Amino acid sequence: MNAGATHAEAIGVAVTRVSKRFTHAVKGVVHAARDVSLDVAPGEFLTLLGPSGCGKTTTLRMIAGFENPDEGRIAFGSQDVTHLPVNQRGIGFVFQNYALFPHLSVFDNVAYGLAVRGQPGSEITRAVGDVLQLVGLAGYERQFPAQMSGGEQQRVALARAIVIRPRVLLFDEPLSNLDARLRVQMRDEIRALQKRLAITAIYVTHDQEEAMAVSDRIAVMNRGSIVEIGTAEALYHAPRTRFVAEFIGRANLIAARVGAVGDRHADVEALGRTLQVALHGRAPAAGTRCLLVLRPEAIDLSDREAASDALVGTVLTRTFLGEKVEYTVACAGVTLQVVRHSRGGGDAYAPGAPVAVRVVRDAGTLVNDAPEGDAP
Amino acid sequence: MSIRTSLHAITRVVAGFALAALVMAPGARAAEVNVYSIWPENWAKPMFEEFEKATGIKVNFVRFSSGEALARVIAEKNNPKIDVLFGGPVETFAAGINEGVFEPYKSPSFAKLPARFRHADGQWTAIADDPLVFMTNNKFLAENKLKPPASWQDLLDPAYKNGLQMADARTSGTAVTRIFSILEVNGRDADKAFAYMKKLRPNVQLYTKSGGGGTLPVGLGQAGGGIFFIVDALDTKAKGYDVSISFPKEGIGTSAEAIALIKGAKNPDTAKKLIDWATSAQMQGLFAKHKINFVPASPDVQIEPSLAAVLKDAKIFPIDDAYAGANRKKMVDRWVAEILP
Amino acid sequence: MVAAAAARPGFGARLRAEPAFAVALALLWVLLAFFILYPLAALIARVFVDQGQFTFAAIAKVLTDRNQVAAFRNSLWLGTLVGVGGTILGFVFAFAATRCRLAPAVVRAIDIAVLLPLVSPPFTTAIGYIFSFGPRGLITYDLLGIRGASVYGLTSTMTAETLTYFPIAYLTLRPMLAAIDSNIEGMALSLGASRARVFRTVTLPLCTPGLANAFLLLFAASLADFATPLILAGNQFPVLPTQAYLQITGLFDLSGGAALSLVLLVPALAVFLAQRFWVARRSYVTVTGKGAGQAPFDSVSPAARVVLVAACVAVTLFIVYLYALLVYASLVKAFGANDALTFEHYRAVFTEGLRVLFDTLVIAAFATPLGGLYGVVMGYLVTRRRFLGRTTLEIVSMIHYALPGTIVGIAYLIAFNDPPIVLTGTALILVACYVFRYGPTGIRTTMALLQQVDPSLEEASHSLGAGTGTTFRRITLPLVLPAFFAALGVMFIRSMTAISATIFLVSISWTLVTVRILENMTELRLGMAAAFSVVVVIIVFVVIGVIGQVLRRLRTPGSKPVTGLLAA
Repeated sequence: MNAGATHAEAIGVAVTRVSKRFTHAVKGVVHAARDVSLDVAPGEFLTLLGPSGCGKTTTLRMIAGFENPDEGRIAFGSQDVTHLPVNQRGIGFVFQNYALFPHLSVFDNVAYGLAVRGQPGSEITRAVGDVLQLVGLAGYERQFPAQMSGGEQQRVALARAIVIRPRVLLFDEPLSNLDARLRVQMRDEIRALQKRLAITAIYVTHDQEEAMAVSDRIAVMNRGSIVEIGTAEALYHAPRTRFVAEFIGRANLIAARVGAVGDRHADVEALGRTLQVALHGRAPAAGTRCLLVLRPEAIDLSDREAASDALVGTVLTRTFLGEKVEYTVACAGVTLQVVRHSRGGGDAYAPGAPVAVRVVRDAGTLVNDAPEGDAP
Repeated sequence: MSIRTSLHAITRVVAGFALAALVMAPGARAAEVNVYSIWPENWAKPMFEEFEKATGIKVNFVRFSSGEALARVIAEKNNPKIDVLFGGPVETFAAGINEGVFEPYKSPSFAKLPARFRHADGQWTAIADDPLVFMTNNKFLAENKLKPPASWQDLLDPAYKNGLQMADARTSGTAVTRIFSILEVNGRDADKAFAYMKKLRPNVQLYTKSGGGGTLPVGLGQAGGGIFFIVDALDTKAKGYDVSISFPKEGIGTSAEAIALIKGAKNPDTAKKLIDWATSAQMQGLFAKHKINFVPASPDVQIEPSLAAVLKDAKIFPIDDAYAGANRKKMVDRWVAEILP
Repeated sequence: MVAAAAARPGFGARLRAEPAFAVALALLWVLLAFFILYPLAALIARVFVDQGQFTFAAIAKVLTDRNQVAAFRNSLWLGTLVGVGGTILGFVFAFAATRCRLAPAVVRAIDIAVLLPLVSPPFTTAIGYIFSFGPRGLITYDLLGIRGASVYGLTSTMTAETLTYFPIAYLTLRPMLAAIDSNIEGMALSLGASRARVFRTVTLPLCTPGLANAFLLLFAASLADFATPLILAGNQFPVLPTQAYLQITGLFDLSGGAALSLVLLVPALAVFLAQRFWVARRSYVTVTGKGAGQAPFDSVSPAARVVLVAACVAVTLFIVYLYALLVYASLVKAFGANDALTFEHYRAVFTEGLRVLFDTLVIAAFATPLGGLYGVVMGYLVTRRRFLGRTTLEIVSMIHYALPGTIVGIAYLIAFNDPPIVLTGTALILVACYVFRYGPTGIRTTMALLQQVDPSLEEASHSLGAGTGTTFRRITLPLVLPAFFAALGVMFIRSMTAISATIFLVSISWTLVTVRILENMTELRLGMAAAFSVVVVIIVFVVIGVIGQVLRRLRTPGSKPVTGLLAA
């Protein structure tokens, strides 16, 4: 079958200034979500990413209808669903623990949503068969959840959520109970399935690699608020906040001062040198103090004699990780993290060795000094 | 979907029960009579079956010790659940008169009975006579080189220490008859009587809830002996337990077993029929047939020869029901306070 | 814990939004008010109000009576001894079952033997005990040749109660011991501790909350026990439940009996509160059924193993012996005098005893499903729904479960004997007594089961389009079905074997086997009492067996078995 073919046009999800407060026994009133706004395009795969307790799950559960927002509005397409009960929203929800009904067989689990909708038996049988085929579980109909592996249970949960042809597909950390290899395989399958069915999807995870692998866009959340929204590349290469710079990937954050500002580039003084960085969006004023974000792969090491104008550093540690080698290098009063791909014998700087340090041109970006501040 | 089916089944069963409960509310039906029997079921039941055979009236009954039965009758005074209180020593009935729970009724046999077998106003009528006896375990006697006790003083022998069982006055009419027997042999001098009971106390292993409660332990030798009604004692012997039955030379009380109509009875007609039957030779003539060793109260019934042999030389005196009724509560309270602990 | 700050909706709003829920809640409150709160209030009023005047006379009479004060002290002392003894014995059994690598068949045999006292009419242990240890007892006299042994008093009562109630400790401690991750003990051992040290410093401390809980359960059971002291305590060792019974049935002093039972209420409530607010918060081991299984190393030294197993086998054999004695007594003409084999007692049970058997079964047939239903609905509401007065509802529902039966029986007698509400003499009063007294075991099993069922299952059902009703019917209810059947089991066992409350409530129209057994014993018809007991034990075992089968059927393939639910 092609579940996507029978789908209605995908619809967008608009979350407008939604807030949710809880009362905590010790901490008092906690803002689980604060003024959250999101626009998810029809057919888009958007991920809510953030550390635990950042409000991503609460936001997702409000979109699903498990929680009622204290303020704000949620719309599916043109329909305001803010106060619509869960069971009338037409969503598919995949739980972290799968939440398979333990007393029902795989068939009955998947058929549940269709039966609730009062579909005729023959149609249910056909639809369940098709969807199980789709998730690679054909023939598992009579099995019970407790007899299946984690990966298989995950597929049942997925099948159960998509068989009802939801308007929006919601995932709450669906892969966190799987082992590393299966996690990679499942996230690819989820991504492929979502594209094929063209369902708008919102996905919650705390795993940045997973988020980057599946998403069209990522919304990074912290302390109940959305810090930045963007594609994985934008968030990685051009974070606008220190939080995102530190949360996604690894970063060297180096104190810097803005020098001459051009159209697309600016000069900054850092590490005792003047370096050129690319500007993304708003340009900072000359003389501003800020942080230079340098990804570890944006720093190159070479033999000291080779380039005389390079910075001088001393290798502190070297860690061999197969495809890459990680170094920490003391340079101009700071400790830099550096990553280089393994290239055979010629790349072994032992601890204590003097090295020349060079920053890849245009690789850095600037963020404000404040931990959660905006871009400078 | 078997779970669903079973759930439906459960729901249906529960609903069915609930419906049945509403329908099955207890209500009086024709030709029946409700009775609290103080006689144990093994004697009451054959009697009631004979009554049903004779009259076609069904007897619904439940057995309680005399204290419990009376307590219930008093508790239910405003809304009587039964029609007849059957069996049990007259002291119990005398106490009931004070509570006003009986309706006077004189059966056709009433006039024929000796005065001590009937209440003057017909509040109760006797259906049998039941003397107290001493019952001792023969093996116990042999081991301690004792003869069956022939005097109240014999029971004070240290050999009986912690070896006697007898009824608890709080629940048993047997105990009340015993206490009044001791009062009688002490000339109704309560202090003297209680002094005796205090002396007897160390020899008492257990005061049992019901009058016959100690007979089995005595039969088995768990206890050396005790004071019981003759019906219970002879029944123990008949079951094959090796026991002796004896009487004190000072004399021992006998208590009439009575029957009474309950005030406000819902089935007065059938109740009166049962009283008529029980107070006459119709019932009392059947004691021997069912091996019930009560002494018949009706002058029309001959005492069974083997029972007569046991009673031949015994000194037995009746308990004055007026005196007993008037002093029952006082004596029981005193017994509980002074003797029981 | 994070709880929603949003206010709990009011009743009016609920009624509009979820009429079924609101009606169920209102109905439950009415029932609780009528069958739990009203009788208790009537009991208290009976004690403190005399002819319209508030008075301390009745309670003062109890508190100044040397006898009754002794009875109070005796009750507490007996409860403490039984609590300690039963907990130790239960722990020994549980430890042997989980740590001694016994063959499954041996464990199974022990389980069945140990279950016997729990499912028997209340006098069975006491009867066997008298015949074994009396002045002419099979063991004291015939075997050991002791003359004039005294059987009545503290020692016998304590021993008989310990034998009767230690299975409760065993059944609560065993899952706890099984759930202790054996790696923890293994870890301590690998750090160089001796086996004895591991036991003392790791195993035992982890069990402390369970031991405390077992102690409280046994203390409460002993405090409430009416039948064993009635047979075995004698006159020198009065205890409160029997005193209250004799006060009422013998002297018809309803106020005095009520006052006595009110005194009994104090320690009973103390135990209930201790359990609820102290033990429940100190559990290190959560029994999830994840069980670490058999210990992968020898946590018990060979010598200790021999001692433990010998102790268990000895106690088990003694229980079996007591029941063999019971069966023997039911099959001979006159126990101790005429050993001729006869079936006359059984014939009597099935002829003249048929009505009382039928009455009991009818009462049980009503009480069992109603109690099960009550337990599941109440358990669901207090675990899964948020509403005003939820905790109050739960506590009120537990009151009669926590109180000794004597109190409940007397309270019912006082409350429902006179107009406006006359229920004495009906089957309803017995059924209600059982439902509200033993239904709470269903509440507890349902709560325990639901706490293991992730709320996301219900959310998943909602997300798939099902409403509250459909979700309850198709997801929640099937998941708590094991609790329902376990509750049915407990209800049935209790309906067949309880006496302490219902002895006050039997009537001309409805009487019970247990009361009949007591009568038989006082009527000298030991054979019939024994035959009745055997028949009851067999009926109960058959029904439990059927329920066990249903529970096994309900088990979906691959899931963990539901065990230990009958222990509640």
